[in-house]
Amino acid sequence: MKMSYLKDRAVTSGYKMLNLMAIAKMGIKHGPFDMIRDIRRYPWLLDLAKVNRLVTKLSRSRSGNYRKAVGMMLNGIVREMINQVEGIFHRQDKLVLHEDMVPPEILRAMGLSPWMPELLGILLPMIVPNVMEEYIDAAENEGIPADVCSLPKTVIGLAVKDRLPRAKAVITSNLPCDGGMSSYIYIEKQIKAPVFRLDIPHNFKDERAEIYFAGELRRMIIWLEEHTTGRMDWDMLKEICEERNRMMEYELQLWEMIAARPAPLAADAVYISHLWFYNVCSGLKSSTEIFRRLVMLAEENLKNGVAAVPDEKYRALLWNPPTMHMIDLFAVAEERYGVTCIMDSMSFNRLPFIDTSSRESMLQGIGRYIMNGPMARHTRGPMENYFDDIFYIIKRFSIDMLWMAGHIGCKNTQALNNIMREKCRAERIPVLIIDYDLADPRITPREGILSQVDHFMENVMKAERRIK
Amino acid sequence: MTQKYYGGCDIGSTTGKAVIIGDTGIILGSSIVHREIDPEETAVLALEQALKNIPEIGSIKDLAYLIGTGYGRSEIPFANENISEISCHAMGVYFCDRSIKTIVDIGGQDVKGISINDDGTVKEFAMNDKCAAGTGRFFEAMARIFRMDIADFSDLSLNARGLIPITAQCSVFAETEVISLLAGKNPPENIAAGVQSAVAKRCFMLLKRVGIIPKVTITGGCAKNRGLIKAMEKALKERIEPLCVDPQVIGALGAAVYAKMRALK
Repeated sequence: MKMSYLKDRAVTSGYKMLNLMAIAKMGIKHGPFDMIRDIRRYPWLLDLAKVNRLVTKLSRSRSGNYRKAVGMMLNGIVREMINQVEGIFHRQDKLVLHEDMVPPEILRAMGLSPWMPELLGILLPMIVPNVMEEYIDAAENEGIPADVCSLPKTVIGLAVKDRLPRAKAVITSNLPCDGGMSSYIYIEKQIKAPVFRLDIPHNFKDERAEIYFAGELRRMIIWLEEHTTGRMDWDMLKEICEERNRMMEYELQLWEMIAARPAPLAADAVYISHLWFYNVCSGLKSSTEIFRRLVMLAEENLKNGVAAVPDEKYRALLWNPPTMHMIDLFAVAEERYGVTCIMDSMSFNRLPFIDTSSRESMLQGIGRYIMNGPMARHTRGPMENYFDDIFYIIKRFSIDMLWMAGHIGCKNTQALNNIMREKCRAERIPVLIIDYDLADPRITPREGILSQVDHFMENVMKAERRIK
Repeated sequence: MTQKYYGGCDIGSTTGKAVIIGDTGIILGSSIVHREIDPEETAVLALEQALKNIPEIGSIKDLAYLIGTGYGRSEIPFANENISEISCHAMGVYFCDRSIKTIVDIGGQDVKGISINDDGTVKEFAMNDKCAAGTGRFFEAMARIFRMDIADFSDLSLNARGLIPITAQCSVFAETEVISLLAGKNPPENIAAGVQSAVAKRCFMLLKRVGIIPKVTITGGCAKNRGLIKAMEKALKERIEPLCVDPQVIGALGAAVYAKMRALK
């Protein structure tokens, strides 16, 4: 048995052990009786506790620093998830439910405990692929049409089944889509907490929009001070924004390194890191630390000429949110065909650092990244927002092909598929559009996703399969 | 045996097809058989039938190289290799006519749109394998409602003087709709024209995804449906190029061409 194989196994076992210890510590701190009571109240806690399945899925085929990066990133997620769950257990008086396009940084600067209901619809299918089916069905039984995005449907299902934490306040917005907005009506009904709705301007590139949205954020702060115990600490917000800027510096370094061929790190190690640490817990030292260590691991691989994917053959750009219930898509594609996912639509942006020189500049900076969030920037038009990013990334990161995670519930991106095909045809970029549903594997199960990948790789890329 | 022989075997959802070509690339034998439950059995039947008229070959084992394709391709243990039917249809059409750039392959249970590169490989493809509407199975169901065999049903729409649109997208609902239209004493040929037009429109939408570059052809068993060809020409505003080989064996032919290429590599 090779030494490197044993080393890889030891790395993964180490991270799995750390995860289990962190979960056990949380359980002990909460106490057995309260824990049992809360597991009955929130049965998804048990599914979250199966996180090591995700570690296995994503580590299995990786080795060296790439494997380390995956383990470290997932351990970071576990630690923050525990912090969030402890918010439900111990800080309920400060708990605020917020939609995914609402900046949690402000809530934290106010001393509040943010909880994003969409988190469960994103994280749980990664761990247990079919776990959200009961919530999707519950939402449809409430009259939500079957063709609405499954992510807000999971939120509605959680609300109607009374499995969301009781919060002191709820903050939502008019982004990213109609489905998202409708889900908060159910939360409002179920939780019976006061709700604040942020009005995010449509024409977000306009300077007036930035000023307007900063005003909206101020309005939100005043509202939160009226309805919760939270008080705005501007120094704290400055610290959070500066920490976020530091994390962004590391991420930019990481992107610089993965632009190299072959890439020193790739796929989930890079994109799940962005998805989680920017959207859930940006501005925390622990999040910045994850990116610092990612940079270190990538740097070491670059220096030693080690590729994340041995014999990197194809470089892919992932468009749309990743295939949540088959999150190991690229782990499989790497093994089968040497496909390396370099960049994705949810991570990439060209936004400036947050200017922390004044309160107004901080609010405008935060507002800018919310208004330019991928699901806002890409789906609100004009279509140049969508396609300029695609072709810029293709050029900058030497991308060979585009993999579009064609989530059937996203009408905005579905509407752009044919134009995407035509534009990529003109640029000679092969496109794979994977028909699937974000959180519901009954629409296209794992085998269906893999068969689409195999058809594309075999027929269009003429790729030879490395393993059967 | 001075000449070498290469075989292609296409195991589809309703039929098995085989084509044998020689060193010169001329088709020496072909067959179409009904599919047995066991794909291996179907492959043996199809190949044995295709080999019947080639006395130089005693058995399947005498083939220099054999490639399996179609849904059952991985179930042909004696094949040297298997290749996706998408690539085989593209290569089969390229073998027949190099000027054809776009294919719609209508099989027993799926429909594919394929655009071809200048060397006969696949440039892009789109497929509908989730819905039976517009496939061979759909036409079989329609023919049953009209109490006709599939050949008569295919020609029925050619006599239509009008067209009754079929609105249902689903083959099950389309059946109900057609039954109601027949019960309402509407002219059967006009209803049949509506059925053909509905399928042609679905194929058109699929082809749009891969880009419609002339010339266009149809492969698969449904390519023999003259009513559908007419409806497709109307929808595409393009002539559907006829092929010099039975369009139903194009996948097997492509596999045989690949077999020759692989053997000589």
